[in-house]
Order: sequence, then C-alpha cells, then structure tokens
Amino acid sequence: MSKLLIFLTLIPLLPILTTSFSLENPSSRRVLVLLDDLALKSSHSVFFNSLQSRGFDLDFKLADDPKIGLHRYGQYLYDGLILFCPTTERFGGSIDLAAILEFVDSGHDLIIAADSNASDLIREIATESGVDFDEDPAALVIDHSSYAVSNTEGDHTLIASDEYIKSDVILGSKKIEAPVLFQGIGHSLNPSNSLVLKVLSASPSAYSSNPKSKLSNPPSLTGSAISLVSIVQARNNARILISGSLSMFSNRFFRSEVQKAGSPTKHEKSGNEQFLTELSKWVFHERGHLKAMNVRHHKAGEADEPTIYRVNDDLEYSVEIYEWSGASWEPYVADDVQVQFYMMSPYVLKNLSTDKKGSYFTAFKVPDVYGVFQFKVEYQRLGYTSLSLSKQIPVRPFKHNEYERFIPAAYPYYGAAFSMMTGFFIFTAVHLYSK
Amino acid sequence: MAASETSNGTALRYAFGNVLSFFILLLIGVLAFSIRLFSVIKYESVIHEFDPYFNYRVTQYLTKNGIYDFWNWFDDRTWYPLGRVIGGTVYPGLTLTAGTLYWILNSLNIPLSVETVCVFTAPIFSAFASWATYLLTKEVKGAGAGLTAAVLLAMVPSYISRSVAGSYDNEAVAIFALIFTFFLYIKTLNTGSLFYATLNAIAYFYMVCSWGGYTFIINLIPMHVLLCIVTGRYSSRLYIAYAPLVVLGTLLASLVPVVGFNAVLTSEHFGSFLVFIIIHVVALVYYIKGILSPKMFKVAVTLVVSIGLVVCCAVIAVLVALVASSPTKGWSGRSLSLLDPTYASKYIPIIASVSEHQPPTWPSYFMDINVLAFLVPAGIIACFSPLSDASSFVVLYIVTSVYFSGVMVRLMLVLAPAACIMSGIALSASFDVFTRSIKFQLPGVKGNSQVDAGDTSSEGVVAQNEVAKTYKNEEALKERPSKKNRKKEKEHVEKPSVKAQIKKRLLVLPFEASIIAILLLVLLGAFYVVHSVWAAAEAYSAPSIVLTSYSHDGLHVFDDFREAYSWLSHNTEVDDKVASWWDYGYQTTAMANRTVIVDNNTWNNTHIATVGTAMSSPEKAAWEIFDSLDVKYVLVVFGGLVGYPSDDINKFLWMVRIGGGVFPHIKEPDYLRDGQYRIDSQATPTMLNCLMYKLSYYRFVETDGKAFDRVRRTEIGKKHFKLTHFEEVFTTHHWMVRIYKLKPQKNRIRGKAKKSRSKASSTTSTKRSETQRKNPWH
Amino acid sequence: MVKSTSKDAQALFQSLRSAYAATPTNLKIIDLYVVFSIFTALIQVVYMAIVGSFPFNSFLSGVLSCIGTAVLAVCLRIQVNKENKEFKDLPPERAFADFVLCNLVLHLVIMNFLG
Repeated sequence: MSKLLIFLTLIPLLPILTTSFSLENPSSRRVLVLLDDLALKSSHSVFFNSLQSRGFDLDFKLADDPKIGLHRYGQYLYDGLILFCPTTERFGGSIDLAAILEFVDSGHDLIIAADSNASDLIREIATESGVDFDEDPAALVIDHSSYAVSNTEGDHTLIASDEYIKSDVILGSKKIEAPVLFQGIGHSLNPSNSLVLKVLSASPSAYSSNPKSKLSNPPSLTGSAISLVSIVQARNNARILISGSLSMFSNRFFRSEVQKAGSPTKHEKSGNEQFLTELSKWVFHERGHLKAMNVRHHKAGEADEPTIYRVNDDLEYSVEIYEWSGASWEPYVADDVQVQFYMMSPYVLKNLSTDKKGSYFTAFKVPDVYGVFQFKVEYQRLGYTSLSLSKQIPVRPFKHNEYERFIPAAYPYYGAAFSMMTGFFIFTAVHLYSK
Repeated sequence: MAASETSNGTALRYAFGNVLSFFILLLIGVLAFSIRLFSVIKYESVIHEFDPYFNYRVTQYLTKNGIYDFWNWFDDRTWYPLGRVIGGTVYPGLTLTAGTLYWILNSLNIPLSVETVCVFTAPIFSAFASWATYLLTKEVKGAGAGLTAAVLLAMVPSYISRSVAGSYDNEAVAIFALIFTFFLYIKTLNTGSLFYATLNAIAYFYMVCSWGGYTFIINLIPMHVLLCIVTGRYSSRLYIAYAPLVVLGTLLASLVPVVGFNAVLTSEHFGSFLVFIIIHVVALVYYIKGILSPKMFKVAVTLVVSIGLVVCCAVIAVLVALVASSPTKGWSGRSLSLLDPTYASKYIPIIASVSEHQPPTWPSYFMDINVLAFLVPAGIIACFSPLSDASSFVVLYIVTSVYFSGVMVRLMLVLAPAACIMSGIALSASFDVFTRSIKFQLPGVKGNSQVDAGDTSSEGVVAQNEVAKTYKNEEALKERPSKKNRKKEKEHVEKPSVKAQIKKRLLVLPFEASIIAILLLVLLGAFYVVHSVWAAAEAYSAPSIVLTSYSHDGLHVFDDFREAYSWLSHNTEVDDKVASWWDYGYQTTAMANRTVIVDNNTWNNTHIATVGTAMSSPEKAAWEIFDSLDVKYVLVVFGGLVGYPSDDINKFLWMVRIGGGVFPHIKEPDYLRDGQYRIDSQATPTMLNCLMYKLSYYRFVETDGKAFDRVRRTEIGKKHFKLTHFEEVFTTHHWMVRIYKLKPQKNRIRGKAKKSRSKASSTTSTKRSETQRKNPWH
Repeated sequence: MVKSTSKDAQALFQSLRSAYAATPTNLKIIDLYVVFSIFTALIQVVYMAIVGSFPFNSFLSGVLSCIGTAVLAVCLRIQVNKENKEFKDLPPERAFADFVLCNLVLHLVIMNFLG
C-alpha cells in the first residue's frame, strides 16, 4: 500500500523531477534504493536519514519487486540508485544488468554494497564497472593485525582501516579521525584502469579468504592490493561507489566504538558515518563537480570572436569554471588550469590565471604555423569531474597583401626598376627626336 | 606569293579559299565541341572523376567570394588539421577561366550555374585548341596541313579522354595554352616581331597559370633554340623570339603563386637561362662578325674563346655547386621520374601509386592516337623537306613528347597535338600530291596544278614544296601498306630511287595509283573517325562518379558515390572529419562538404602515410590514430559485391607501401603470402586483421552466405567477425561505399574477471587461475 | 707570344672602334641605353651579394627589369638596323611601336612583382 502511495505521489512530481537533474543542477535528487529486506531500512536508517536530510528523495523498494523500473516513457525516473541487495540474483520489474549499466552510461550515479555471498548479479555489475570481487563466494577480508578490537575475539574479519585516499574532494576537508569499520569481501582493481580509485584499502597484512576453512593455498588477494571501498568516475562523469560490505552502512557500525588492534586510542564512534556521508556527497555530485562555460577568445584589443586567426596574432582566451556545492555553482579556484593551443601537438601551453571569481584567462601569440588549431582545456584532477573543452579555430597564413611592402634593404632595387622606367621614357623621347 | 601571275581569278580563289577555310574551321570547332558531349547525353551533366571536383569547388569559391579572397583562400576543410593554402598551391588558370566565363555569361544575363560552366569549359577549350593547332600547323606547313591537323586534333582520343564535358581539369585548358604558345613562338620566329614575342610571353603566362606541364615549354623552346644555333641556323629573329620570352616569361611565371621563385630557383628552368646566355654570346659573335673583317674576327675569336672558356667553367662550377647542394638536386619528384622512369617507383610510392604516372603500354598508344601513330613518321619526313626553323621545332616537339609519353601515361596528352600536327602535315601533303598528279593527267587542267598547292600560302616555296610533297607522299604510302596491302609496298619501294632526280614531270604518279591511294587514305581517315567516335562515346565518357553496366536484364546504374556523399552531408555534423584514402578526398569536400584528412593534392606524404598506416593497422591501433586526428567517420570503397575493380582493397598495397615508407612497423611482406596479394583463406593474419580488410568485408557474408568477392574472384578468408572500435553507420545500395563511425571510448572500463553469466562455478576456476598469475607469491 | 697577342688585341680594338664609329647615331643611342641598363643590373647583383637576397622578389624584379630592358633594346636595335636584311619589310615605326608595347608589359609586370 505504501508503495502505491509513493508511486501516486510521485506521478504529479514527475514533470518537475525529470528536469531536476541537469547540467545546471547536477546533484542526484531522486534515488531508488533496492533492498534485500525492508528491515535494512531501519537498520541502516542513519545513512538514509543523512541522505534525506540533504534533500534526497529516497524510494525504497524490494529488489525483487515486480513493479520497479528505472525509466518510463524514455525518461529516467531516478537520478541515483543504491543497491543494498547483495544477495539478489534477479531484480524484479524491468531492471537487469543491462538496464543498470545503461543507467550509469546515461550519467546517473550508483552505490553498490556487496557482502559475503554476494550474488553473481552484483558481482557482474561491479565487474562491468571495473571492480573485481574475490571470486570465492565465502571469502571475507581477514586482517590479523589491524582488526577492530571487540569484545569477542572473533575471526578478525571486522577490520578497522584508516587507509583512506588522500583527497579533500572525495572525503571532505575535515580529517576522519576514527578508523572505519569494515566487514565484508575485498576486491581488486586493475591498475591500468584509470577510472577506478581505491578509497579505502586494506592494510598490508590483510588477505581475503574463507575464515571458516583452513588456508590451504595462498589467498588470491592480499595486502594493500585489496580494496575495501572503491569509487568509479565514468567518462561521462557518472559516479559509482562500490563497497565490499553492506554492514559498514549500518547504524550498528556507525554507532559502535572502535579501537584498532595495537592502537592505544579508543574512539567513541567509528569513522563510518563521516566517511560514508562524505563519500555519498561525492557520489551524488555534491562535491567535485565542475562545469566550464563561456569559452571566449578574441584578438587582443578586440571584443568579437573571429572565425579565423592569422599567424602571429595576439589573442586572449578566457573560460569560466564553477564547482557545484550541492546547492549552487561556486567559483572554482585553482592555479593549475592550463590551455593548449593544439594541432596534432600542443603549440602553446599556458597556465590560466584566475580572478578567484571563476573566470580564467590568459593571452598568447598564435604560433607561426597555419592549420586548424584547437583551444583545449583538459582538466583532470583527482576527484573532480573531468573537464575537456575543445574549440576549433583555423589559423591562416598571411594574406598576400599583409606582407611588408617596402623593405629598406630593397630600395636599390626599387630605384633600379624606376630608373629603368624613366630611362625608358627618356630613351623613347631621344629615339623619336633623333630621327 | 606564288601566284604572281596576276589574275583576278587567283585573288578570287584565295578569297574563296579563305572563306571556305573559315567555315571549315567553324565546323571543326563544332565537331570538337560536340564530340565531347557524349558524356552529357549518355549520363548527365556532372563533373567527372576526382580532381575536377576540387577545381569545381575552387571555382564555386571564386565566383562567390571574388578573386582576392580566392587568392588568399586558406582552406580548413581539407588536410585536417594542417589545412591547405589553396590560393598559393593551385594552378589558377582553369579556375579563373571558368570564373571569367561565368561572369561574362551572367553579365550578359545568361544565368548558367557554375557547374554547367565548369562542365562545358573543356569542350569549349578543345575547340580553341583545334583552332590553335590550325594556326600552328599553318605556320609550319601551310593552311591545308593546318586544317587537316585541326580536324585530327578535334577528335584525337587521347585529348578527348581529358576534355569530355565534365572533365573539368587543368589539362583541358592547358593543351590549348600549350599549342597556342607554340604557335606564337613559331609566329615570332617567322616574323621576328616583338609584338608576337609579347603575346608569346603572355600565352606562356597563361600556360603557367594552367598546368605544371609548362616546364615542357620552357625546356622545349630552349632546346629548339640550341638546335638552331648548333645547326648554324641562328638568325636575329631567333633572338627576338627567345630572349624576350625568357625574361618576360620568367617574370610572369614568378607572379603565379604556386610557381613563385621556383621559376628561377629550380633546375627545370635552368636550361632556359643557360640557353639565354648562349644566345647572347652567339648574338654578339654574329654582330662582331658582321662589323669586322674576317681576319680580325679570327683574332677576336681566339681571344674571346680563351677568356670565355675560363668564365664558362667558373659559371658552370657555381651552378653545379648550387644545384648539388639541394637534396633532390633541385628537381621535383615528378620531373625526376620523367628523366629516370624508375625513379618514382623506387623512391616515391605516392607518385608511383597513381595509375596515370605509370609508363603506358603499347595498346594504349593505339587506343589513344590510333592511326596517327603510323602517320607520324611520314610527317617527320615531310618536315625535313625542306627543313625550316618552324618544322624543325615541330620535329623536336614530337620527338621529345614521344619520349615523355613513354614515361608517363598522363603525358600522352602532350604527344597527341604533336602527333596530330605531324599526321596533318603528312596527310595533306600526300593528298596534295595525289590530287595534283590526277589533275596533271586529266586533260585540260594541267595549268591549275599549282593553284591547289598555292592554297598552302607558304612563302615562295611552292615549287620546293611540291618536290618535297612527292617524297612525303611516298612515305605516307609506305606506311599504309604495312598494315593494308603488301602488294603496294613493293610498288613503292622502287620509287625512292626515282626521287633522286627531281623533275616536276617525273613526280607525277600514275593516275590509277593515285586514285587508289586517295581512296585508301580516305579509308584510313574514316577508320580514324570511327575509332575516335567510339572512344568518345564508349571509352572515355564515363564520369566514374556514376557507373553503368550492361547485363542480360538491361542497364544497371551504380550511383553509390553520390548516395554516400549525400548521406554524409545530411547525417553528419558540419565539423565532422571524414577519413578515407586520398582518392576520395576531393569528392568528399566538394560533394559532402565535410572536412577530410587527406585528399588528391598529395603534398604531405607523412599525412597520407598516417592514413595508410591506420588503414593497415589492426582495429585498436587504427582507432587511436584516427582519434588523434579527430576523425569521426571512416569511408571505404568496396567493389566486391558488384565487381568494381578500383576499390580500396585493390589500392590497399599502396596504402601499406606509403604507410610503411614513413612508419617502418608497417611491412609490406606481412600482407603478402609468398609474395602474393590475397584476401582468401590463404591470406596472412596481418592482412585479415587490418582495418581495411575488416571495414571492407564486415557483414559481407550476409549478402550471399559465402562471401564471394567478385573483384578478386575468391571467397574471403575471414567471414564472421565483429568490430569493436567502429560501427557501421551507412552502406550504399550496392555496397560500394561503406561508412563507419568511430565508437566513442567506453564509458566504463571493465574489470578483468570474465563474464560469468551462465555457470559461475566453472568460470570461477578459470578466473582463479587468471588472478593467480598476478600473485606475487608465485 | 704575349707581345703578339697584345698587338693583335690592339689591332682588334682599333678595328672594332673604327667599325663601330660607322654605326648610325640612333643605334649608338640604343647601345648607350643597353650599356646603362646592364650596368644597373650589375650594380644590383653586387648589392645583392653584399646585403643578401632577402627581398628576393625585389631583387629579381630589379635585375630582370634591367635585363629585360636591355634585351628589348637589343631587339629594337636588330629591327631598326638598316643593314639587317632580315627586317627590310618591317618599318622602323612598327618596330618601335612593338618595342613600346613590350616595354609597357614588362614594366607592368615589374611593378606588380616589385613589392
């Protein structure tokens, strides 16, 4: 009944909501949460509440609900998707692997939480995103040296890790003091894959194996090669968060106190809440989303944009770059934005200076080479969406009447030519009169 | 004049003859124009082939933007991303001519489209060319020969092949300019008038504007001058004909942007300067000889020779040093391949890859100049009796052009006018003799025999000419029997012994023999006409943009090229870049208005090699090359379905060669199985995996289930394959043009693990082994 | 040997001068004109050798204008020379008109090429 109600309330909202995710407003607003069990809604409520308090509209569904669907009439109903259903073998409704991948490929965000015994479906979604979970379905990440100290000695599968990625953009500027609790499966990344980042990695002493069976052969995943939480930023800037543990989102982990084995300090509260909240901000584009606009270039001293430049022209280039703060576009300030004047290779490479109000500008001289050039701004920084602007502009050689006309060195030649002409007139006169 | 017998009758006769020849010329013009219209009638009024499309596009630009913009035109639609300075790299003669025609017509309120003007420029100029031939031959051997030569030129197949309606190429106007320049040179030589010398320089300027073949003129004329000097035929007329031409011609040539300083700096032009110096020395020597006594002259000679030798040596040493310091010895590739036919194929695959730069085969001589090939020797002999400055020039012209045509098929075109002139001279001379001998033997017309000859209006050499003509005629006859009548040959072999004693009366041939000979000559002419018309109608009028074929169920029209180009222009963005082999560059820019990477103006070898490399690389490497060039679409031409032989697979080895010339990782042997180029199951894996193979044969097996290639007459080697980095976006009706789009980079990068859709357990084990390989403990 | 050569040369020079003295005045004027233009050309070549060939088009047009003028004058001289049998039927007026036309074309081109 409640599902129907939500659905009914959704319908009038549709026209408003469909326009909500746009370039002007990149944060996801409507999020579909697929759960194995509706009990998760309450057991993970802290995480969900933090999302809702930031203005997200969460739509909780069972993963095998036959009515669920990601889009309707060619429009996506949601801007984000949270898969808290590690054991689901099949989704209900029209959702399947291809639908989810298409959802991501059309620029939407995704959070996946796996767990031990994660289903093939979840594994496959992760694989498609560039993350390989340990193939052993029963394997967990075990760490005998940096486990979280708890009342029961246990099998050291509850890990306290503080090996975060060092990026203010992804994890916020506030330092996460307490280690993050993790219990679940590890995954590995292909080092050549430039789109995937390891956000939380295991300590060098960790390995991935089935804690219940004896270690017969060396574990396939070991040490800090194990990634516990990873993020993916696809080329279309869709963001994916993949975690090997569903329980790290749970209220229990959020609230629990944590003491890392071998560490004297005992933290009142684990770092999970801060870590995951900040991470979810990043995933849902509340941070690190850049946009560039108003690319302008013109000759020095002119205002209009020409259709073609001449070699050795002086030109000025400017672009405005803003960052999405979750609510509005704020000027982005950095000193490492560069523009290339590019034809097969960069002929000019200049740092753009900024006025701290989002505007970046520089001036340079067109090289003495003609051809079809491009103004290229390729700005890829860790955690930020990649900016790739290119604007084509032809550069022509001198026109025939643009060369220097009278060259001092050539005056004798001019003199000779003109003396020949006057000579010709004099000669004509003399020749005619001498008869 | 010969007919100094003074009678109104002769004057009237001349007037009548002039009017007659005027009308004949008019008809020749009409003939030359209309024989070239077969392509319009059989197909439609379109621009043909490849280069004409570029010229057409340039003309459009010219008529739209005016001459100054044209001069400064920097084209960013071609040679992406380098661009091309059209104004500075194009021979503007043709474009300006058509543009002027267009403006004239439009100012007369005749609203023709630019395309129409372009299509008909070539036929119009071939009419002009035949008139110029008339003038030239008239200067050499008289009006009769002139008219014959003009008729022959109006329908010589070699020239038709380059100037059918729609074939809007430089050669169309250049041949006219070439002949006209030669005419003015001969005219100047005959009259010694500075006026004609000026005109000559201007005609030369027009030729330089029109075609790179102008170097032929600037080398042939000095050769002739040198020949005259060496054979002791120096006259002050020669000086007047040559010296102003060199100075004015050089200056005018440097005004053409594409030639520029090359007119003084490259060794193609050095010959003319050398002869320029020589003619001055000779002129001075003749002058001094004229004012000095013989004895004193001898003294002067010894003095001057000793000093002159030293100076000459010094100058030559400097010249040699200058030339040798440049890498190609100052000669451009195309010119070098003229002198050394093996040069191009050895060093420059890009020149060798063009079929018209190959040496011609023997049948092509017969195809292109037909019976003229047999008449030429007769004409040469006719030119030697008597040898004037003008006729020696024509002889030199034919000899050099025969050589050049033997090097490059394309230069057959230069040979054609020479062959026409020679054959015209031979034919008219033999007709002359036959008709005269008939008249001579007919009672009562004895006295008139001279009048016919007088038609030639050559100056006071009629008597001499007659002598010569008999001789020529015999030669002409001698040629014919070789392929027609053996009996005749014997009869004429005896004649040459007779010719020694030249007596007018003895020169007369037997009446019957003359009649038969005339008949045979007419037959020969008729054969030529039939052949030419056939060539014009069938062989040379296909526009190559539209193809037709006849089969049992009628005519098939293949309009795939235009289909593909219009698809491009309607379905792609304006700034999209299309990559194809360079043959299709001009057409793509002109018809689809899309930016291309390389085109038929092959000025940048590296860029072409890049495209060649991409085409011969595997898919991924090719994708990277194309992506770095911002290419969106790749266009390949594939003839395997309909049997169109000049498709990209047949050109592919050139791509490999040109690519390999710059990027050594492309090796030709990798694409050949035991030295054989094949695409069937015996083909090498490199061949089967290269982009060109894949793009050509993608989904080909779906057409007939067997994937039988009708051009190579074999089943292809690899039938079922998928493309990972390209997607097919358009294939024309007959599969002749296939257009592929570069797939964008994957949005996500997949993990290493294999897809485990069906059985997780079985794949788990394989996955494990895979991951274990990365295990540091192993 | 040297003496005889120099003697010969002297004799040659003498006879040349005497022969030249016989030429009509208008031809002499032409000769002067030719010498003048060749001299100008030589000066330019020397200047080019010193300064370098940078404005090559200017150099080329300067020198070629001189050479062209000289060549045309020589042509005129050939044509108006009464002793020359080849041009008997060519009136000197016609020759001069041609000469003027040719010069006009030449200088037009030079002007075009100079800058």
